[in-house]
Amino acid sequence: MTESKQLLIVDDDPDFVAGIKAILDGAGYATDVAHNPKDGFAALRSKRYDLLLLDIMMGRGAEGVMMARKIRKEPALRDLPVLIITGIKEQIAFMFPGQAVHPRFMPVDELLEKPVEPELLLEKVRALLAAAGTRQPEVR
Amino acid sequence: MSVQNSIKILIIDDEEIVLESCTAILRGEGYDLATASDGTRGLALLQEIRPDIVVVDLKMPGLSGFDVLERIREADPTMVTLVMTGYATVQSAVEAMKRGAYDFLPKPFTPDEFRLIVRRSVEKRTLVLETIALRRERELLREHFASIVSHELKAPLAAVQQNLFVLERELAPAATEDQRGRLARIKVRIGDLLQLIETWRRGVSVDIEAIKARRAAVPVSLPIGKAVESLADAAARKEIDLTASVPEPAPVVWGDQGTLTETLVNLIGNAVKYSRVGGRIAVSAEADDAEVRIAVADNGVGIAPEDMPLVFDAFYSGRPGAAGERGSGLGLAISRRVIEAHGGSIAVQSTPGKGSTFVITLPLHRDDGPDGPRPGA
Repeated sequence: MTESKQLLIVDDDPDFVAGIKAILDGAGYATDVAHNPKDGFAALRSKRYDLLLLDIMMGRGAEGVMMARKIRKEPALRDLPVLIITGIKEQIAFMFPGQAVHPRFMPVDELLEKPVEPELLLEKVRALLAAAGTRQPEVR
Repeated sequence: MSVQNSIKILIIDDEEIVLESCTAILRGEGYDLATASDGTRGLALLQEIRPDIVVVDLKMPGLSGFDVLERIREADPTMVTLVMTGYATVQSAVEAMKRGAYDFLPKPFTPDEFRLIVRRSVEKRTLVLETIALRRERELLREHFASIVSHELKAPLAAVQQNLFVLERELAPAATEDQRGRLARIKVRIGDLLQLIETWRRGVSVDIEAIKARRAAVPVSLPIGKAVESLADAAARKEIDLTASVPEPAPVVWGDQGTLTETLVNLIGNAVKYSRVGGRIAVSAEADDAEVRIAVADNGVGIAPEDMPLVFDAFYSGRPGAAGERGSGLGLAISRRVIEAHGGSIAVQSTPGKGSTFVITLPLHRDDGPDGPRPGA
């Protein structure tokens, strides 16, 4: 049922990535990994993915935010569901002072905090994939 | 002292002989010396070489020593200035000090006197620079604490915990009871550590203005319900009877639901921590026509009378809890700041051995007719 779904993780912490990749692989997803936004984009352009799992604080700052914004500007990638997995939820508020703790600062679909319980991770991934499936059935 | 760090001293005096003797006295002390023969040249040189210490004659033709002091204070108040003059009077000394001079040297002076006063000025300058550096560091730390903490402390722990989650799943079928217990212990301790880091981070970055900006009409049943729910498991582990009672309809406050929930989580979490196995925690709300009081009452270990005045202070942590638990010492300090940002107050009553009751008092939110909701205090 889920074995053909293609997931991409973009996160610069290889140990953390190992932790979530094992959970996703174990659930039958095909998971690729990029450790920076540049490689992430290269992967997104080389292959069709069903879901992106994106870290916020990468490299010299909030490179994950930049990546999410760029994705929404690319017609080919605009509908890709994005699950943010971040160290601190309010990091986002911290970067955008004066806004609510969980602002709709960019069109991401879901936000989780590290570390994430396996069941919760799988539940969110399933829900996002299901939502994307009903959103554009003609593509699949 | 290394060359790049050597103290730069600028001497401004209209008398060539004074400049020469001063430089002669200081030569060999490792300072970087420069001289100027009047105030205007002195100030120009000052811009160029940014000295640490300026020695200036008070009485000079053109720009006076007082004027030079004034300009230095405007340009860089951290420079240490010394004045010297042949017309030493108490009045001119006081006047020079008023304009920022660090010390005063009456002419004529001996080489030793000069060396001594310069050395003291160097010490002063070093202290000033250290203070500036420390202050800047503190500001930076404060500003970037959230990201520093998240990356340097939280990220490695999150990676460890994430892999532990996986390990637990992978090993579960084959693991013995003991092994599962050990994994569970590791998980709990790492979880506690993550929580502690988060609490410290929040303690530094409670943003009162942000809390005020986020306020809306909140029925107290919402934060109470969420807080009780999030601690249900922790209470169950200690077989604690955790109950909540809120009148119907629930009293409404003008508040920020997130931080109110967090405060209640904190108070109920403390109650769990300081309760014995099989204890009882009752969360309740009641309102009159002006205020809502939310009480968190436990029958746990209580607070010693001598500790009572300190419980809301930052970094104060009471005696270990019923199972040896200790707090971060920040939870109640943060709670008080949050509640005060809501125009409310927080208080505690306690009897050692019998239990504690924390009461949050918040102004009741009233919906005043056609103008819509009226923000509370």
